[in-house]
Amino acid sequence: MNKYDVIVIGAGNGGLAAAVRVLQAGKSCLVCEKHNIPGGFATSFVRGRFEFEASLHEFNGIGTPQQPGSTRQLFQQLGVADKIEWVQLKDAYHLISRKEGYDFVMPFGYEAFALANNQIHPEGEKYIRHFFALCQQIRDAMEYLSASKGRPDPKVMMEKYPDYLACGSYSVNEAFEALGYPKEIVDNLNTYWCYLGADGNNLSFLHYANMIYSYFAKGAAVPRHRSHELSLAFEQRIHELGGDIWYNSEVTRILTDENGRVKGIELKDGRQLESRHVIADISPHVVYGKLMDPGAVPEKARRLTNFRKLAGRGFTVFLGLNRSAEQLGIMDHNYFIYDTCDSVAQYEAMKNFGNTAAQATVCLNNAIPDCSPEGTAILYMTTLFTDDVWSQVSQQEYHQVKEKVATAMIERFEQATGVNIRDHIEELAIATPQTYARYCGHPQGTIYGYESQYYDGLMNRIQMVEEDHFVEGLRIGGGFGERLLGYPSSYKSGVNEANRTLKDIEREEVQP
Amino acid sequence: MTFQRSPIPGEDIRRAMEMPARRRELIEQSSSQLPQASYGVNELAASLHPGIVRARISEKRPAGVDCCVITLQSLGKDGRFAWFRAGQFITLSAEVGDSFISRPYSLSSSPKQALEGIYEITVQKKGIFSRWLIEEARIGEIVLVNEPSGDFYHDSLRDHDHILAIAGGSGVTPFVAMMKAIREGSEDFRLTLLYGARTLQHLLLKPEEYENERIRVIPVLSDEQSEGYFYGFIDRTVIAPYLDDDTTVFMCGPEAMYGFTAHELAELNVEHFRRERNSVGNRSVDEPQIFRLKVHVRDEVYEMLARSEETLITALERARIPAPVRCKNGVCGYCHSRLISGEYFVDEKNDFRREADRKFGYLHPCVCYPLSDMEIEIPILDK
Repeated sequence: MNKYDVIVIGAGNGGLAAAVRVLQAGKSCLVCEKHNIPGGFATSFVRGRFEFEASLHEFNGIGTPQQPGSTRQLFQQLGVADKIEWVQLKDAYHLISRKEGYDFVMPFGYEAFALANNQIHPEGEKYIRHFFALCQQIRDAMEYLSASKGRPDPKVMMEKYPDYLACGSYSVNEAFEALGYPKEIVDNLNTYWCYLGADGNNLSFLHYANMIYSYFAKGAAVPRHRSHELSLAFEQRIHELGGDIWYNSEVTRILTDENGRVKGIELKDGRQLESRHVIADISPHVVYGKLMDPGAVPEKARRLTNFRKLAGRGFTVFLGLNRSAEQLGIMDHNYFIYDTCDSVAQYEAMKNFGNTAAQATVCLNNAIPDCSPEGTAILYMTTLFTDDVWSQVSQQEYHQVKEKVATAMIERFEQATGVNIRDHIEELAIATPQTYARYCGHPQGTIYGYESQYYDGLMNRIQMVEEDHFVEGLRIGGGFGERLLGYPSSYKSGVNEANRTLKDIEREEVQP
Repeated sequence: MTFQRSPIPGEDIRRAMEMPARRRELIEQSSSQLPQASYGVNELAASLHPGIVRARISEKRPAGVDCCVITLQSLGKDGRFAWFRAGQFITLSAEVGDSFISRPYSLSSSPKQALEGIYEITVQKKGIFSRWLIEEARIGEIVLVNEPSGDFYHDSLRDHDHILAIAGGSGVTPFVAMMKAIREGSEDFRLTLLYGARTLQHLLLKPEEYENERIRVIPVLSDEQSEGYFYGFIDRTVIAPYLDDDTTVFMCGPEAMYGFTAHELAELNVEHFRRERNSVGNRSVDEPQIFRLKVHVRDEVYEMLARSEETLITALERARIPAPVRCKNGVCGYCHSRLISGEYFVDEKNDFRREADRKFGYLHPCVCYPLSDMEIEIPILDK
């Protein structure tokens, strides 16, 4: 039986980052992945003359080489930063919301964004500067908390970060209500809600404010060669460090000993591999519900898992168009097209088929002009389903249902922008919750892990991360992990779980 | 202080401090049952994409000249095959002689038959695998069937309501599936089939068996003049009457036909059409060479010889290494592999890799020919 210090289940962003970290510490590591390429959602696929990005809309926390953002710094530490070429985005988004009649473009950059808010409210700039000051304190507080490794000085917190503490328990809607900004400003600041997929009554304000501050003030980027470039950069790094990735190698069991601690894994073909440490970059629902012997799943792990709510199920239409973006009149990279800016109403409508409540649409050529051949364009539109309507669909109906949903999204985009899409579709692919379930195995095709709930948001999870750990030798990270969904979060979560695993190993070496 | 929600001093912070305790309570109130292990969405995904299933050859029926319709019966869990879009292909694998070979075939049966456990393919006596299927494989023989794939099907968003299908020889098979699907109601479009065959005897179908108000079949015979049939090639005069603004052209046939038909279509101002890609076979090389190929599969290493005129997949097949193979024309990416060292040739028109694959040195062995000794890592075949 092969033996590894650590086995990582899943070569998604979290798994790849975890493996690099483990290998950097000089431990042996094998990654087992059920698909034939790395990345999980961070991938791309080719149809005809087009290479489509599978999931990434924009990546925050990159910054510039001179002023690196937090994720670029993480990539530098992991030794992958130089392997990736980034393209900076100019504007944040083009928001079109039917109910409120909004139709405007917001730029990136602290100053530019603040000033742009004057076009939607006479004193827009003032509110944005107020909001950014609050965000800066939240950010500083988070850095302090992170540096204090879970033992912050309460006095420092009270003196330096009182606002962080004061808004700590509130949802986005509760906090904005308390801040008393005009509706237009709040609507604008709420635009990014669909990147986290929980409505404003549930989404933690600290989490959301921190994220949008990063976007607005520091900007965003995309990798030049789709997110497959990120995944292959990590894979190359893993090989450089002497690690391995086995593809088409689904883990079907996590093996435990009589004391309930991890002792290895079993692959689909029955092969067993020995390891006292497993980092799972997959959902706890699958880990505890499917991979472990029921007797080895602690009661607390069951309760925590059942407490959680699966987040939005993904749906994306990928279009290869036979005209350039300019010829078609698609002038922006990033569109948010909403029926209303009320995230609670949107979330409710997204439970059903036939709604067009929200779509986040990207025209990649407006970031990377040569991402498709001259005279063509790539457009992809994403929405979420916030309930399980897709689980009722049969094999025979499936293709008709997905074409119907895709048609409604395309028509909504055409209606909102006045652009003709239908007559220019050369290639098309549709990803449904079934597609995401197929490639990544996530329950019900969720693409956002566990939803950020009022009592299960970022701060709660970070604070209670050790309390949420139950099985000796098993750490769970990635999109279902402590830092919730998203590219930067899942890489960071993978690194955190790797660091915890390394500490576990160290402890065992001292006290076997 | 900037932020205050509660009018009671200190209340906001107190509330924040109490979050973990409240969360603990809610977790404690949650069910202690094992988390749910099966989900509707995941189950449908597994039915649509079962991967490789075993099947038995249940019938062989000669058709046309040198062709054979082969019926496969699913030996999968529930005795069914996966649903598919008419026009898609499956990939068959079996041990043939000293090799383990895989080859794609368009399905010529209907989607509804799949749910009854039946797939049908129409095979032409050409190539090692097809010859084996026709001449040697017995009724009851077990083969591996990889799930339907490919995007050669009618898409209501991408394509017009009317498909003008241009077929050459056994290239008619995906259109046979489409006609069956239209007739049984699992696909919804109109289809006109221009079907090029050498003689009446070569025809793999009887037009009257398929034609209805949505389907027309027009055979075009190249080597035989016969009353009531077009004679010659499918040229612009044959094509033109069936073209209009509501038509998308689909083609399936030999490479030579594609060149000719594309030219005829260009003359008719048709720039965009869909064509099914053929498998990439041997290439001609002035001075054939034999190289050493080292292949990593998980923690196993295999060494074999590879000929300069054959693809890397062929070398793997000869060495009986069960490599993942699906389309055999560079498109699907199922054989995506890592280059460790060595030089290879890939024809640009078969190079459908992702940009980052090129940047980081990955290849699709099904369309790559060795130019030196090589070392690669391939994924294991997930049976």
